[in-house]
Amino acid sequence: MSCAALLRAGSLPAGPARPAGMTLDGHVADPRLAQEQRWGGLLAAAQTGDARAYDTLLREVTPRLRQLARARIRDAAEVEDAVQDALMTIHALRHTYDPMRPFGPWVTTIATRRAIDRLRRRGRGAGRESNLDDLPESAASVAPVAEDRIVARNLRDAVAELPESQRTALRLAKLEDLSLAEASARSGLSVGALKVATHRAMRSLRRRFGVGGEGEDRADR
Amino acid sequence: MQTDELISRLSQDVPPVRRVTPPMQAALRWLAMALGVVAAVVLLSGFRHDLEQRLMLMHEQVNLLAALATGAAAAVAAFHLALPDRSDRWALLPLPFAAFWVSGLGWGCIAEFIERGWPALRVSFGCMSFIIGFGVPLTLGMLWMTRHAARIRPGPVAALAGLAAAALASVGLSLVHHLEAAAMVLIWHGGSVLLVMLFSRIWGKRAMRAMDA
Repeated sequence: MSCAALLRAGSLPAGPARPAGMTLDGHVADPRLAQEQRWGGLLAAAQTGDARAYDTLLREVTPRLRQLARARIRDAAEVEDAVQDALMTIHALRHTYDPMRPFGPWVTTIATRRAIDRLRRRGRGAGRESNLDDLPESAASVAPVAEDRIVARNLRDAVAELPESQRTALRLAKLEDLSLAEASARSGLSVGALKVATHRAMRSLRRRFGVGGEGEDRADR
Repeated sequence: MQTDELISRLSQDVPPVRRVTPPMQAALRWLAMALGVVAAVVLLSGFRHDLEQRLMLMHEQVNLLAALATGAAAAVAAFHLALPDRSDRWALLPLPFAAFWVSGLGWGCIAEFIERGWPALRVSFGCMSFIIGFGVPLTLGMLWMTRHAARIRPGPVAALAGLAAAALASVGLSLVHHLEAAAMVLIWHGGSVLLVMLFSRIWGKRAMRAMDA
């Protein structure tokens, strides 16, 4: 089914049962339901390889994804990230949609899961981050850059997988830029232990991301 | 990348996709496969010597059916839950059957205790290795079939897959291996099923992600 065909009124594929909100003559009374039914038709067309239908669907459904993300996330940049995550999940899971079933719950679950994931990641990183988005001058510079986000996410995940002592050392010595003495006082670790932990953390991150430069990983700044 | 640009990229190349098998159909396929594997093992190992007498007992029949129902319900629930548009409440489907099964075993323990005191408990690693040995591959089979859930509900789906596989393995084990005390069945069957379920809950997420990559 082509996108153009779907865009014409009344060309949506009919399900086996009359969905809630549809009158006997096939007219959908609820505009939200009618819209979801149309999106279901577009996705069914996309499943057969109709790229135009798919493009139309993704563009039309994005405001709904944004609305669902905003219901859980306040930060604008995070909302946009959650929307993009949801779009990528829709893409990866498009084969799981059954055109005989309503589209609304399918897309709502995907958008909600991605928003929750964002919140969880945010929660994990909250202790180490300052909310720059609250500053007015940064408002114009929060345009989402997918590559940067992927790199940042990979880095966050890699740091999260480090042992606790290495994470603490890395945060104090590298991110908060404390002197070894201050970091030692804050963490309760000895200066020597801090040096070793920071060195190991940097080495394991470098190894993971394939970055060389042996001379850079000295902790005794 | 801006969202508009991402959409353009995603919709640039959209090859036709094959829709996932409807959940009931997929569950029946998996159940047929799992029951086939377990039945083959039971036939190769031979039935337990007292099977006929045991199957005459009402509580044995009920326990066996409850285990089978738990496995089947968990499989149906897992395949439904693996799809984004299904309710989270599917996860509750096997609970009544599992509760019935465990309470049946528990009741057997109490009856035995009243009749002849606490029965001698033995270690039965054979039971555990049977349930784990068959439960894990069958779990992996279901994780493969539900790998699309990796992005939606990997944890609950994996736990249900483990429950389904281990419950069916337990049914097979009941047909080949004799355990004289209900407490033994509860500990070794129930414990092993729980173990497979927990393993799957913990490691299943990672396995599904690897399979879905």
